[in-house]
Amino acid sequence: MPPPRQRWRLRWRPGARGLAVPLPEAKLPPARRGAPAPFTNMAPAQKSCQTGKISTAEVAVQSHTSQDAGVQTDQSKDAARDFQQEVQVDYTRLLSFLQRVEDVVIKELNKNWKSHAFDGFEVNWTDQNETVSCLHTLSYPDAQDQNLQVTSVSWNATGSVVACSYGRLDDGDWGTEKSYVCTWNLDRRGLNPQRPDLVVDVPSSVMCLAFHPSQPSLIVGGLFSGEVVVWDTSRIEDPLILRTGMTDDTHTDPVYQVNWLPDAKHGNHFQLLSASTDGKILVWREERDGRLALAEGFALVAQQIPRSIQLKKLAWGEAAVGVTSLSFSHFDPRVFVVGVEGGYSLKCSTAAQTEALHRTGTSVPLRAPAELAFTPHGGPVYSVSCSPFHRNLFLSCGTDGHVHLHSMLQAQPLISLQLSKKYLFCVRWSPVRPLVFAAASGEGDVQLFDFEKSSQKPAVSIKQTTAESPVYCLEFNVKQTQLLAAGDATGTVKVWQLSSDFTEQGPREMNHLEQLASEVTD
Amino acid sequence: MLEETLKRIQAHKGVVGTIVVNAEGIPIRTTLDNSTTVQYAGLLHQLTMKARSTVRDIDPQNDLTFLRIRSKKHEIMVAPDKEYLLIVIQNPCE
Repeated sequence: MPPPRQRWRLRWRPGARGLAVPLPEAKLPPARRGAPAPFTNMAPAQKSCQTGKISTAEVAVQSHTSQDAGVQTDQSKDAARDFQQEVQVDYTRLLSFLQRVEDVVIKELNKNWKSHAFDGFEVNWTDQNETVSCLHTLSYPDAQDQNLQVTSVSWNATGSVVACSYGRLDDGDWGTEKSYVCTWNLDRRGLNPQRPDLVVDVPSSVMCLAFHPSQPSLIVGGLFSGEVVVWDTSRIEDPLILRTGMTDDTHTDPVYQVNWLPDAKHGNHFQLLSASTDGKILVWREERDGRLALAEGFALVAQQIPRSIQLKKLAWGEAAVGVTSLSFSHFDPRVFVVGVEGGYSLKCSTAAQTEALHRTGTSVPLRAPAELAFTPHGGPVYSVSCSPFHRNLFLSCGTDGHVHLHSMLQAQPLISLQLSKKYLFCVRWSPVRPLVFAAASGEGDVQLFDFEKSSQKPAVSIKQTTAESPVYCLEFNVKQTQLLAAGDATGTVKVWQLSSDFTEQGPREMNHLEQLASEVTD
Repeated sequence: MLEETLKRIQAHKGVVGTIVVNAEGIPIRTTLDNSTTVQYAGLLHQLTMKARSTVRDIDPQNDLTFLRIRSKKHEIMVAPDKEYLLIVIQNPCE
C-alpha cells in the first residue's frame, strides 16, 4: 500500500493583510479505496500559522503616451491548401486497394444507374407550410403622414433586420422633401410594427438601400440629390459615417442603385458602387475623414453602345444613357448587367479599358463598360437580376409590364412574360429555388413565378395593397429563405412567409434550368 | 495503372467526382476542386468510422463492407478499407 500523502490546502486567514497562506492540515487516516471513511473516534487537531507584520507601499503608474497598433493576417486565398500536408503514399498498396474495390464500386454504380427504387421518393424533413401568409406589416406612421412611399428594402447580413427607405418615386421634378431610413429587428421580442428600432432622418429622398454583405450594421443609401451615404446602425448618436458630399465627382441625377463591391486587392475591404440616370456608374472608396472618394468609374454614352440592335433615333439625342438598375453576376465578379431608361439591358464588364466619351470632367477617367446590348422592352427597364444558379441567365422587367428572361449569349430574350397591365417595378430571383422569381407590380401584387409549374402564368399572386397602390421593391431573405419583404406606395413593408414549395429545391431543378438556358437560338 | 483505374471509375455514367482518402482522412487523389474535396474527405471519413463502429457494436463478428448515402441530388458511395477509402459521387438517372 502506498504511503499516505500529506494533504495541503489553501486557507484564507484574515488579519494577515489578506494573504492566503498554505496551511498543513492534520493528517487523517487514509480511507480505503472504495470504502467509506471509517467512523473512528478521532480528534482532529487544527493548526494555523501567520506571518509577521508585512509592510506594504502603494505606487501608481500611468502611461504618458500610448499608441494603438493592430495586427491582422490577410485572409488566406486558398484556405484548404493551408491544411494539406505532404502525405507519404505507398503506391503499391494503394494500387492493390483500388484493384480490390474497383469491381465492387463499378457494380454498385451500374446498379444505381439502372435502379428505379427511389423514383418519386421524397422525404419531408421540415414541417410543410402550405400557404403564403403575411408575418409582419411594418410601417413608420410619421412617414406615412407625409405620404412617403417605400422606395427600397434590404435585409442585413444575419437575416434578422429589415431596413426600408422612405421617399417618393413619382416625383417628376427635383424633390427637397426629407425622408427616413427605418430598420426593424424581426427576431426581437416585443417587436412593434409601428415603431422601427432605428429611424434615420435624411435631408433628401433615399432612392435605394443596401446592407453590407458581412457586417450587419452598415447600410449604404443612394439619394435623390446624387449623393451616396453610409450609415452605421450600431452608432446611436449619429449613424452617418461616410458620404460622398456634393463634389464634381458626385452624380448629377438621382442614384437608383447602390451595391457593395468586394475589393479585388484587399479581400476584407469593400468599395461602393452607385448607378444613376446621369449615365455614370461610379466606384467609391473610403477615405479617412469620413468622405467617399472616387476610385474608378464607368460612363454609358449612347455612341458607345454596341450596335447589335436597332436603337431608336431618339436615343442619340441625349448622349448619356440613364442607368436605372444594375445587377452583378454571381459567377464572374467582373460581369454586370445594367438596365437603362431606353428600355434595353446591357451586359458590361469592369475589366473594360476603352475610355468613355464623357462630357463633364471627373477626377478619375471613366471607362465605357458596355459589351452587349439586348433587345429592348417597350419602356424603361426598372429592374434587372442575375441568376444565382446559372452564369448566363438574368431577368429584366420594365414599364411595359413584361419580364424578359435573357441569356447573356444572345440579344433576344429566351422567354417574355406579361405579368402586369401596369408597370413592373422590381424583379428578383429566389436564392434557393433556381426556377423561381418574384416580381412587384403596379397593381399592388407580388407575383411569384415558378418555371417548374408553369411557364405562362404565376404560381402565386399575393395581393399586398388595396386600391391598386403599386409595390415598388422586394427582397428575398438569404438567411431565412422563407421570408420575402416587399415595400409599397402606401408606406408599408410587408414580410411574407412563403410556403415550403418555394423554399426547397427539387431534385431535377438545376437540369430544368440548364435546359431553359440552352434554348439559345443561333 | 493507378490513374487508369481511377479514370475508369470517373468515366462511368453519372459520376460527378472520385476521391481517394487515406486512413487519417487526408485526400490523396481527387477529381474535384480543393475545398470540396477537403469537405467530403473529412466528413465522410468520420461517417464511415461511425458506420463501421455501429455495425461492429451490433455484431462484433460483422464488419462494414460498403456505405451508400442517398440524397436529393446525388448518391455517395464509400468503399472502406484498413488503409484507404474510395469515395464516388454519382448523379443517378431518374
